Amino acid sequence: MAYARGKQDQASRIVAVSPDDGAVIDLRNPALAALLSWAVPGLGQIYQGRLFKGRLFMGAILGTFLAGMWLGGGKVVYASWKPGDTRWPFVCQAGAGLVALPAVVQSWQLNGVARQPLFGSPFMAPPLVAGQYVSRAYADRLAASDPDIDAEDFFDRPPLKQFRGEQVSHWHRRLGRWFDIGTLYTMLAGMLNVLVIYDAWAGPLGAPTDDDRKAKQERKT
Amino acid sequence: MFTLFCASSTFVPPLLLAALVDRVPGIFFGLPLMALASLIFAATHHEDPAEIRFAAVHWAVWLGGILGLVLAAVLLLGWFA
Repeated sequence: MAYARGKQDQASRIVAVSPDDGAVIDLRNPALAALLSWAVPGLGQIYQGRLFKGRLFMGAILGTFLAGMWLGGGKVVYASWKPGDTRWPFVCQAGAGLVALPAVVQSWQLNGVARQPLFGSPFMAPPLVAGQYVSRAYADRLAASDPDIDAEDFFDRPPLKQFRGEQVSHWHRRLGRWFDIGTLYTMLAGMLNVLVIYDAWAGPLGAPTDDDRKAKQERKT
Repeated sequence: MFTLFCASSTFVPPLLLAALVDRVPGIFFGLPLMALASLIFAATHHEDPAEIRFAAVHWAVWLGGILGLVLAAVLLLGWFA
């Protein structure tokens, strides 16, 4: 808890107090720090000069997010709001910050005028659903690179192509439990980053109780 | 954990690593998440690195204990059912 939250000292600094030693923590610009911590986990703490915690958060959150991506074959982070394939886990994954942002861009691109993800790359692109129109270039690229998709999976609808299948079903069949495990890792990374954002905004959580102080004193002696 | 993954990916062929990971029961993949949650909880409650380490272990024991009890209850129910 930032005991001094809202208080400003003589130098007009917004500060928090460390629950461990009572040291004053300069939160600098808390809103900016929170934004930085959302964008890159731990960056807000680094901006505030709390280097140990910043590096710790960055390694732990980003490491878990990337491990989840790896376990889920790179398919578990995507944004989709189509009926029947609403990707609610992305709400949690988005908490991890900029590392999840390509999913939003890819979703806009695939459902926009271009009808294909950015640079035609399927990275973080939402899965195609039955009846979805895509650009011919993207359809050809998927047919060539995706082991579950071939040219017959598309109707020819010049100037586009129409998918006839459920790509997410292919992913579930191929990845099995890894899809769920990867999703869980990336979701938890995003959710825990909310605590990190709060830490950047308001300082450490929780006031030390008398018991805490007593226990700490005992550990020291 | 990420460091471990990177290190192992560097020295072990990725296919062999995937085969090894595939043999690990799914429940063990919850352990790193428990460690992560403990670490983040601890680090957002303290500033001093030594206190963070101590609190992380404290949280891990609590989380592990509670989740272990839930698992034991589920296993018992499944056994009697």
